[in-house]
Amino acid sequence: MTASLFPFFTLPARILRAGLSPLTAVLDGAQSNGPNPTASNLPSELMEAGLVTINNGLQSIQSALSTAAGQPHGKPLTAPPLEGPGDLDSAASEFANRMARIFRFTPFEPVELAAALKKTFSAARISFGHIDQAERSRAVFPIQIALSFGTLLVQQMLRVLVSYEMVGAEKYPRFITDFLESFTDTPIYIALEYDALIENYEKRLVLRPDDAATRVELGRTQIKCGLHEQAAATLLQAAGDPSVRALALHEAAVALHRAGKLDDAARIGSNALAANPGNERARAWLWLTAQKLGGYPAFIPASHRMQMNVGHEQPTVEFEDIAARIGLDKTSGGRGVAVFDYNNDGLLDVAIACAHGGCNLYRNNGDGTFTDVSISSGLDTAVNPFIITVGDYNNDGYADLFITRLGFYVGEGQLFRNNGDGTFTDVTAQAGLKVWGPAFSASWVDYDCDGFLDLFIANNIGGLFDRKTPNRLFHNNGDGTFTEVAEEAGLSTLWPTIGSTWGDYNNDGYPDLFLSNALGKSQLYRNNGDGTFTDVSAEANINENCFGSVSLWCDYDNDGLLDIVQFTWSDHENVIHTMRHGEGPPDGKPARIYHNNGDGTFTLRGRDIGLTGCWGTMSGNAGDFNNDGNIDLALGNGSPRMDRLEPPILLENDGKRFRNITFAAGLPFGGKGHGVNMADLFGDGRLSVLVASGGAYPGDLLTTRVFCPKRLPGNYLNVRLVGTTSNRSAIGARICLEADGRKQYRDVSGGTNFGCLPFEQHFGLAAAQKVDSLQIRWPSGLVERFTGLPINDTVRFTEGKSGWERPYQK
Amino acid sequence: MVGIAFISHKGDAVSQDLTQASHQQIGAKVGDFRLATLGGTTICLKTLLEGKRGAVVVFWSAVCSHCVRYDGFLNALVERCPALGFLAVASRSGETAEQIRAAVQQRKLLFPIALDPGSLVARLWCTQQTPRAFLVDADGLLLFRGALDNYRYPGDIEYAAYLEPAIAQFLSRSPITKTETASFGCAIDSVYYKFPRAL
Repeated sequence: MTASLFPFFTLPARILRAGLSPLTAVLDGAQSNGPNPTASNLPSELMEAGLVTINNGLQSIQSALSTAAGQPHGKPLTAPPLEGPGDLDSAASEFANRMARIFRFTPFEPVELAAALKKTFSAARISFGHIDQAERSRAVFPIQIALSFGTLLVQQMLRVLVSYEMVGAEKYPRFITDFLESFTDTPIYIALEYDALIENYEKRLVLRPDDAATRVELGRTQIKCGLHEQAAATLLQAAGDPSVRALALHEAAVALHRAGKLDDAARIGSNALAANPGNERARAWLWLTAQKLGGYPAFIPASHRMQMNVGHEQPTVEFEDIAARIGLDKTSGGRGVAVFDYNNDGLLDVAIACAHGGCNLYRNNGDGTFTDVSISSGLDTAVNPFIITVGDYNNDGYADLFITRLGFYVGEGQLFRNNGDGTFTDVTAQAGLKVWGPAFSASWVDYDCDGFLDLFIANNIGGLFDRKTPNRLFHNNGDGTFTEVAEEAGLSTLWPTIGSTWGDYNNDGYPDLFLSNALGKSQLYRNNGDGTFTDVSAEANINENCFGSVSLWCDYDNDGLLDIVQFTWSDHENVIHTMRHGEGPPDGKPARIYHNNGDGTFTLRGRDIGLTGCWGTMSGNAGDFNNDGNIDLALGNGSPRMDRLEPPILLENDGKRFRNITFAAGLPFGGKGHGVNMADLFGDGRLSVLVASGGAYPGDLLTTRVFCPKRLPGNYLNVRLVGTTSNRSAIGARICLEADGRKQYRDVSGGTNFGCLPFEQHFGLAAAQKVDSLQIRWPSGLVERFTGLPINDTVRFTEGKSGWERPYQK
Repeated sequence: MVGIAFISHKGDAVSQDLTQASHQQIGAKVGDFRLATLGGTTICLKTLLEGKRGAVVVFWSAVCSHCVRYDGFLNALVERCPALGFLAVASRSGETAEQIRAAVQQRKLLFPIALDPGSLVARLWCTQQTPRAFLVDADGLLLFRGALDNYRYPGDIEYAAYLEPAIAQFLSRSPITKTETASFGCAIDSVYYKFPRAL
């Protein structure tokens, strides 16, 4: 290794691995005990429980000390700490995060020691300098510092333990290196400080022009900034040094591909594989380049090629990308997509959030096209939006929006009230919803069935060494304001949360909460009906660790019981394994369904029902896109890494298993999908799959795609509900449709994370010529039954009002 | 009635009327401005359009990595389209004239740049991120607004240009087929710029 950044960059993983060796020995030993999963997980389960206990104990001591010292207990932030953290725990996290960046970006050389020390002092000053002087001068302050770092350490150990258990010894160094890179990069790219990074690398190269590892890092930074032509030149120059040749060539192939120089990308990609035949990422990238070229060029040897052995099952429906044709081809770092009717003209409109840009609202013109009304609506002012969730919180008949920020970093939430005249007003402060934190998902729910929508915000972690920011539950007071009740409700968790979804799994009329945690165990909270919740994960058999992504409730087998679909995130190697072998490796964790047994327990289903592929799923949704009466799935996949693109995936449910029809149905091979949504945009029964695409880095911008079935695949009925006693959006209502002697169930959801589905419920009727009956259970408890309904139409029901109406004229 | 933003020669905002900003529409008159240029002169929409068939205005930032990518395109545009006035408006919060001058020198930028220190013109023109391009006719009527392209390179089979065809159609007196696209890029103002530096 040369004395430069590169060895230092991989050092954390090596240190962690060394530090983990006693733990890994225990785990590895346990895993060799035999096939009994309970026995093999026992040591890690015990360690996990022990760490949780230690954390709780330390936190109790912290709390007691604060009380004794007369200090106020910490509350979640409502505004950005622009000067620096004001409390000890946040300061400790900030310091650790800053040290991680110093650790990564400072060359590991004696001459850099003075600079590193200076940066360390500066980090300490920025991190701790804004804690109140009175607090710092208390006698207990040194003990509080120790306790603060103690809880931070324990929470980190817990995350390391769980992630190690999932990734395994072999892949862990690479996993942790990728993880470290992403989290240390985020604040730099968000604050546009990449110019300083590039300048540092360039200065260093002036002093040490032979430092090839630094040159590689410069090239990789240029790729992240989208300067692909410059990056290719930088990396090809670095490739002259044998010590970095393989990596430099691979990254150069990425840059050339992204710069549209596909022949060169193929040639250099092949050279990268020749330099390191084991680099599966290079093989996958070369394959992607070949797809754009129409096939592998003749000069690519057979040993460098691969086949895509997944996604070719026979589809019952074929799609075409119509995004450009209808005006939804937004290029951005695509994030959430919400489909809703913002102006009550009956047509479904589309809002798209994105990193590296603003929020766009597209009005449905009713003629198969959309008009960008972002500016006139006022939503263009929501910069760096992440997830958009729709709900009529004030029951005025117009859909309002709550928007989160960034998801893997801190930011503010914003509530936009729909004024009913095509415009939105930011009413966050007056509603009492000022929040600052790493909010990933948010959902509207009437958890106490009082007729007003409440708001749940799921918080991830915003930095590598951040503590878990509490999830938030805001009770709607019915007067346009909200009151935080999460703690009293019993909804605290240690795990960083990504997906959150509400559904009434026990049919008691109250929505329950499922949390899909970024790592660690998923959690199911039963709604007790009195404003409190009980964590019933263990008794419900929801107890497996995974990298949880977004999740949703749906009745995938039409048995009248809500099941949980949990999408998962897999590392790049497992994704490539899936591509090459048709399924994820045995130790991979594909998407899963927690099948509701109807007795308060769930059975984990996955590979046995066709969920075999490991993808880096960031977004997924459910809908019957082939109109056969079974709910299908669509997945948007990716990762921040610039050398990772993976396709959106379509899984067709044939009633017995999910079949991967992606490529056979006409979807593209590469992408980076976030906001996946499904909606009948034209009211003609064809359920389009919308995928907002793009990555975390400014150089990773892609274009939104809208995949529409080429033909109507079967009969259908679209159903809309308007609550009167219940919340106006009817979130939480359950619909049972019976046709041809078969029942189908849909629940109106208040947000399925990155893709906020329309309130309109789409029922595929296959060849059925009539609907026998339709029953609605409103959140108020009212149950209504209707017959004599049309097919191939869109109908609207109003709570307590007999009959139905069409929401718009075709 | 359109909004107007005047910036003094020193870069201070002296008056503003942004009430009509949210009503900026394709086909309608854009807001006027008076800005100091990097060269020390003053420019307004009228002078930009003087003797021209129209103008291209691009909101731009020296530090924005998305803008860097279009250096060559913008340098060439000024020469390629003499019938159009061209102005880059530097609106990014906190960006100084010195930083911009340094970028001009280092990147050999040839196009004219005006300073919008309070981001008033950006707000008047409903612009949240850089780069964002506008094409207006000689009367100041808005013909196109949005991204320059879809951020692919011309060699890519998925490449789609937006500004270039709009200019070509305008100059050939053809109807502009795509008058608006979403913009992407670096935020002109962001809370993340106000934190202590990460590095």
